[in-house]
Amino acid sequence: MSVVSSEAAREQSRVPIGVKFFQLAPHFALFVFLLIIWEVAVATDLIKSIMIPAPSAIVASIIELYFTKGTIYYHFGITFAEAVLGFTIGAAIAVILAVSSALSEPFKRYIAPYAILLNVTPGIALTPVIIAWFGYGMGSKIALAAVLCFFPIYVNTLTGLIQRDEDREDLFRSLGAADILIFTKLRLPSALPMFFAGLKIGLTTALIGAVVAEFSQATDGVGVLMNRFSFQLNMASSIATLLSMTLIGLILFYTMEFLDDRIVFWRREARRASVSWAKRRAYKRRVK
Amino acid sequence: MSNSQTFNPAKTNRAHLGRKRALLHVVIFSTLIVSWETGSRIGLLDPLFYPSPSSILNSAWTIYVANATIWYHLYATLGLVFLGFLAGSIFGTGLGAIVGFNSVVRRFLKPYVIVLEATPRIAVAPLLIAALGFGSASKIAIIMLVCFFAPFINTLSGVVNVNEDKLELFKSLRASKLQILKKLVLPEAIPVMMAGERLALTAALSGALVAEFIQRDKGLGSMILIYTRNLNMASAFACIFTLTVIGFLIFRGMEWLDHRIAFWKNEAGLARVSTKRARKMEGF
Repeated sequence: MSVVSSEAAREQSRVPIGVKFFQLAPHFALFVFLLIIWEVAVATDLIKSIMIPAPSAIVASIIELYFTKGTIYYHFGITFAEAVLGFTIGAAIAVILAVSSALSEPFKRYIAPYAILLNVTPGIALTPVIIAWFGYGMGSKIALAAVLCFFPIYVNTLTGLIQRDEDREDLFRSLGAADILIFTKLRLPSALPMFFAGLKIGLTTALIGAVVAEFSQATDGVGVLMNRFSFQLNMASSIATLLSMTLIGLILFYTMEFLDDRIVFWRREARRASVSWAKRRAYKRRVK
Repeated sequence: MSNSQTFNPAKTNRAHLGRKRALLHVVIFSTLIVSWETGSRIGLLDPLFYPSPSSILNSAWTIYVANATIWYHLYATLGLVFLGFLAGSIFGTGLGAIVGFNSVVRRFLKPYVIVLEATPRIAVAPLLIAALGFGSASKIAIIMLVCFFAPFINTLSGVVNVNEDKLELFKSLRASKLQILKKLVLPEAIPVMMAGERLALTAALSGALVAEFIQRDKGLGSMILIYTRNLNMASAFACIFTLTVIGFLIFRGMEWLDHRIAFWKNEAGLARVSTKRARKMEGF
């Protein structure tokens, strides 16, 4: 997302609506065209509907799942809660360990081998064991989500905190800044972009953890729902459920992107400008 | 050699410090293991759920040597990982290059890429198994899908993010398109691409495990699942530690490959290749 979307994003924001419509029209045309080809291919039995259902069937089951029956909301909420809770726990542990590692060299030295060990083991391999430990309920899903999202957050926070700009640190010291001030005013802000990048990766992996644990053994959740539909060969509903996972992923990702945008405002031109305007206004008011 | 270095206090200090640190590592590690072992011996940790290190070693001996059951499953999993990774990364790299070089395709593909990136790709596993049936085909398809994305994105970003100034310089010197590709784009893109391949190989292992959790006919994933279901946790942990070793080997192997292929990114590789080229030039 970062690669493809960043290019034109800046210019896009100032384009009037009429022009925007003309920019978006070919995209919609292509999308509709693809859907029609797909629909026709299924209708003429070029694609077997039991393997890949027609878009109309998928839309019908989306309507059924979300509006007429509304079965998805409960499972959606469960998976969402599992992913977010697991992410919160994993991120909290990761941040605590990363900050301690950054502050104390020996701590980092002796904790690093275990962190690496945890990283090279595919965390998903722990799924059955974690289910045996934490039971069939939400606990095991939260635990797996926490295990999976731990490492990217730990590594990114640590690298962010460790990287040092010697010149700036010298400047701080020459102005007589205390160590704590250097940490809060220099090292912490410069670590934040990396930290948020880690959080974004962590959120995605936490969602994967929750869903995979649900596949293995669970009673509620989007993963269970999808597993159930695909074992019934109800592919349309299965794909509709898959799209709801995409929705969870998008919600989580853009929430984090929004936080990133607000908190690390100095990395983005537009945000930096508006924040500095606000600060200037506040300053003027105070001076008056 | 030792004679000349005994007078260098910094060096002996460093060697001494290194030995001390290694010793401390060993002490910490063995303390952990011993407390774990005693914890499960005196009943603080239920051995049914948290097996002791000795029982894990014991079952590792059983599945590796005495019964030698793991080899068949190891072979099955690694074969899957290799095939799936090969297919997925070739597909991903190829598509990434096509999309990277073609801005029209890139613009139209963008929304689909965003949607695909937000979907947990492993979640498609049950769907693929339902569509392709039980067997290796669906497993390989899952692995392909899981490890398609990182090479795709990294190839794309490697190809797209060319340094504008350098490109201008190349163009002003009338470099041909092939020359720009060979001398400018690829040297910048290959390290990024290699990072993508590394992610993909790790993801392939996870994908294979999930595929085997869902269809438990053979492979390490099904072994772990079945051992856990039988509450034979020691054997399950033996399999998980096997995966740790595999993961470590993959990590190190890819790092080595990265240093070999993208030699211009590290000093040692640069020195190696330049001496080789110098030797070749000596003939002239």
